[in-house]
Amino acid sequence: MWNKLFGGKKNGTPMTTEIPPVKLKGVGDSFWVTVDPSTPEDVIHEKISELFERLQHLAINAKVIIDVGGAEGCDELVNNLRDFLKKRFDVGIVTTPPEKRSQSVENSRQVDLGKGWITHRTDALILTGRIRSGQKIETRRHLIIVGNVNPGAELTSSGNIIVLGSLQGQVNAGYPDNEDAFIIAIDFKPTLVHIAGIPGDGADPSLAGKIVYASIHKNKVILQDYMQDQPFGKIPWPTAL
Amino acid sequence: MEGKIIVVTSGKGGVGKTTATASIGAALALEGNRVAVIDMDIGLRNLDVVLGLENRIVFNIVDVVNKRCNLAQALIRDRRIENLFLVPASQSDNKDVLTAIGVQRVAKMLKSEFDYILMDSPAGIEKGFENSVVAADEAIVICTPDVSSIRDADRVIGLLYSRSITPKLIVNRIVPEMVARGDMLSHEDVIDVLSIDLLGLVPMDNQVVVSTNTGMPLVMHNQSLAGQAFRRIAKRLNGEVDIPIKVPTARTGVWDKISQKLGLNR
Repeated sequence: MWNKLFGGKKNGTPMTTEIPPVKLKGVGDSFWVTVDPSTPEDVIHEKISELFERLQHLAINAKVIIDVGGAEGCDELVNNLRDFLKKRFDVGIVTTPPEKRSQSVENSRQVDLGKGWITHRTDALILTGRIRSGQKIETRRHLIIVGNVNPGAELTSSGNIIVLGSLQGQVNAGYPDNEDAFIIAIDFKPTLVHIAGIPGDGADPSLAGKIVYASIHKNKVILQDYMQDQPFGKIPWPTAL
Repeated sequence: MEGKIIVVTSGKGGVGKTTATASIGAALALEGNRVAVIDMDIGLRNLDVVLGLENRIVFNIVDVVNKRCNLAQALIRDRRIENLFLVPASQSDNKDVLTAIGVQRVAKMLKSEFDYILMDSPAGIEKGFENSVVAADEAIVICTPDVSSIRDADRVIGLLYSRSITPKLIVNRIVPEMVARGDMLSHEDVIDVLSIDLLGLVPMDNQVVVSTNTGMPLVMHNQSLAGQAFRRIAKRLNGEVDIPIKVPTARTGVWDKISQKLGLNR
């Protein structure tokens, strides 16, 4: 029914945006061939031929990277394509994309044990002193104020905002859309709070005199007692923000 | 020796800039300094009235800056206090007629002739404010113990800092009874927010209205608490370091209450 109404493909799969089985683009000094491994091999051969014929002499001795989009069990397909390309178009080296370096949990723990933090570069703007009325601090990094923020001052950060002192101005964390951003202040009395563009209440009288942690929960800014709720206490190992 | 230019400013209007300028200027002159008070509030001149010199104005600061007269012609000497001079503002122009360069030129002339030059800045942070602070060596920020005044003072302090001037604070119009009841911010609360050096605390005083209307400088009334506070501030400005800051206190004694009721004491 769905297919009839919306014109699904003949084989019955629901309609999606059509992705060509083979795409070719130049990356650096090589050709990057993206292949959809679910397509029959002879179709791939046909499409590749089409694309490489257009390249004419450029294909000769060129470096080619065959990207199967991370699909597993495609070694045979890649080998076949390598032979095909070398025979048909005289290309140089045919490889697969370099594997992305992903830091495993184990690795990140070793960073700590092996004093790897020494080489870690901070992604925060740390300011000391008083931010006065009319002053605007805008940064793409995390913002840490060691001092007070007076009423009428404005803080905007793409990351988190931490105020080691009294926060009485306007705060705008996670600008424009980082919903993981949070705000912590020792004395939390802002005139206006925004996290990821979502406005929230300023000071909560029930949290007076407490360190306040503000974050986004279900599209709302919620304020918590930092020392009581310990939002980061559950993270067992130090992690850089 | 060159004189010092001190700008008196606040951001917010009506907190007592003009009264403070007149009082501190008169007090400094009574101490034996040569003092000029300059009204920079072009278009809304008041300082001449507060000093009781409004009948003697011929030329004003705009004429001096725009070279329509020389400085000596515009200076009005106070007849009661020796060594106190006023340069009045123009009442008919607006604040854009002055230029920073012109003000700096006049400031240089004033510095060579006087020990202290007090500039009474207009309210706001626009051209008028900029013209007043352009030649200043020091600044006094006046603030009353209320939230709006503090916020404006905070902004002005930021602007002064950005011009490398470290201002000093006067908290004006303190009502000790209200502070004691917790209805008014105390001077400690004000300093907590503004975090600059305190120059003095001035209590609320009805004598201010009387002296403004009669044109008699406040510091010449020996009974006036505000006048006494301004005299202490002038002494501190004049380099006397051992004058303690006197915190206004509520008068709660029996005789005070009786005399207040009888109208013997203000």
